[in-house]
Amino acid sequence: MSKASALTARPTTEPVRRLRLPQKLRNLELFLLLIACFINASAVVLVQLGALGELDPTLVLLGAGLSVLVISLHVVLRFVARDADPFILPIATVLNGIGIAMIYRIDIADKESGWASAAVRQTVWSALAIFCAIVVLLVIRNHRVLFRYTYIAGLVGVVLLFLPLVPGLGQEISGARVWIRVGSFGTFQPGEIAKIALAVFFAGYLVRNRDSLSMVGKKFLGARFPRFRDLGPILVVWALSMSVIIFQRDLGTALLYFGLFLVMLYLATGRLSWVIMGLGLFLGGALVASQTLNYVNGRFTNWLDALNPAVYNADGGSFQLVQGLFGLAKGGLLGTGWGQGRPEITPVPQSDYIIASLGEELGLAGIFAILALYLLFVARGFRIGFAGQDDFGKLLAVGLAFVVALQCFIVIGGVTRVIPLTGLTTPFLAAGGSSLVANWIIAALLLRLSDTVRNQPRLVV
Amino acid sequence: MNVSELTLLVLRIGFLLLLWMFIFGIVYALRSDLFGQRVRKMKTDAAAAPVPASAVPAAVPAAAAAEAFTAPVARASPAGQENPGVQAGMATSLNTTRLVITSGPKAGTEFPLGTETITIGRSSDSSLVIRDDYTSTHHARLMLWHDEWMLQDLDSTNGTFLAGSRVTVPTKIPLNATVKIGATSFELRR
Repeated sequence: MSKASALTARPTTEPVRRLRLPQKLRNLELFLLLIACFINASAVVLVQLGALGELDPTLVLLGAGLSVLVISLHVVLRFVARDADPFILPIATVLNGIGIAMIYRIDIADKESGWASAAVRQTVWSALAIFCAIVVLLVIRNHRVLFRYTYIAGLVGVVLLFLPLVPGLGQEISGARVWIRVGSFGTFQPGEIAKIALAVFFAGYLVRNRDSLSMVGKKFLGARFPRFRDLGPILVVWALSMSVIIFQRDLGTALLYFGLFLVMLYLATGRLSWVIMGLGLFLGGALVASQTLNYVNGRFTNWLDALNPAVYNADGGSFQLVQGLFGLAKGGLLGTGWGQGRPEITPVPQSDYIIASLGEELGLAGIFAILALYLLFVARGFRIGFAGQDDFGKLLAVGLAFVVALQCFIVIGGVTRVIPLTGLTTPFLAAGGSSLVANWIIAALLLRLSDTVRNQPRLVV
Repeated sequence: MNVSELTLLVLRIGFLLLLWMFIFGIVYALRSDLFGQRVRKMKTDAAAAPVPASAVPAAVPAAAAAEAFTAPVARASPAGQENPGVQAGMATSLNTTRLVITSGPKAGTEFPLGTETITIGRSSDSSLVIRDDYTSTHHARLMLWHDEWMLQDLDSTNGTFLAGSRVTVPTKIPLNATVKIGATSFELRR
């Protein structure tokens, strides 16, 4: 071209390197993280002022331990995942810190300290969980590695899910058999880890097989229904979740896994008929279970007829549920303030009912803030899935984010009497080590996914 | 208790405010995700030399477009020799929004152009990865110089062609001119 000769000086062709802004995302994350640590510290201080009336330096030091851990995770991100999403870590930190503050507040009410104190144990578990997250980030440098282990992940998930049924290993706590005993250290809920393994399995399986699931089938009533032989996977997962309801007596876990599978199936195939069939199967199964299984029937009665004095006073009745509702009502709009309510009246106020305890002390404004944090966390997960280019990464990100969302809905819906109460932990908040480890691993996987999404080419021809 | 009720009330409301400020801080930081990128303001020198709007009919089949649009390119090039400013018909950051693949295995796909450099090549760290036998590892790049899109060949083996002629020095790209790399050709469009 003649025009080109006008530019005489030819610039040197240095090797092409992706232009990167100098850690802009990580600096934003650090800023938000410092605010998050300040929120956590002030929550602990307010608990001490409200419940003890004085400042006690021991637990403030423990709270500082959490800050050191999350900042070390942040430093790891600076080296191994520079372009990871900057919002996931601060949100998870605030939720974890508020949880520890609430558990500490209930420890004060129960006059427990030292190793018996659930708050100390929760802090130690947080340390372990964040350490696991760092290991995940260091080991898994590209999420596509997980795609290779699709079927191994599926096997691991199923084994973990049924580990509590092994005699001598499993342990039954308040009716549900979902824990295993780990030496004298305590109990562990392997089902929490299983949800990650199953999300990996579902994502890999659906990416491999979705064509046969979505393309063929008869059209009936305006929706395309799959062939009978393609129904295999949905029936297997349905049988799995029904056996969890029957043998482990845990409604929430079953609902969680089945819901996860349905949503990922819908994402992979884009067919509403799968969802309709799946929901029909689950509701049918749950209805049969509510008629035949005693504990499911009890849960339904407690939910529908909670305020009936006979149900309230019955053994295993709605006492806990209604006490939680009373606590929420006492909290009102702005709450009683940290350490000034009486959340310890409700049974297990630090694990299943932590949201009712928080509702009492922080009020509607506080509960909505916590729900907004979950909303942002889940929205970031969906955004990562939306921006992803490979189908496996897309499905995995959305699946992991959705499992957090569904778990929140099942627990908080149960506590606030929207759905029958089922025992699950509130992600990041509730006392319970296995749940913390699992959710921090989910956060680490989302961070890893978001980093690879930003780093991958925009178009491959 | 040595803390007064009033202090506790103030602290309680302060904590809730802090929590909500944190949430709104996050929402503010991701506003571009919610509402899209900010619209760029027109610069004054660009406004002085307006780009003819009629140059591009919006919906033309890609195959026909490749032939049809070589004509305005030929007209545009001699005019630009003495004029160092923004020329009519050249792809600038203001009038170009997307890169459209017009032939090759992914013909018809397009991706949005921002302000950052687009690297093209076979290596997977390129922004536009073209995997065929004719493409070099780091083949070419598109970059903005003074708000104009420039095409630079990075000493590729089989060359980069702009409207049929091989590119040897960084060259301004006219709007809708065909850039050919290996078996793939693309255009910059508004």
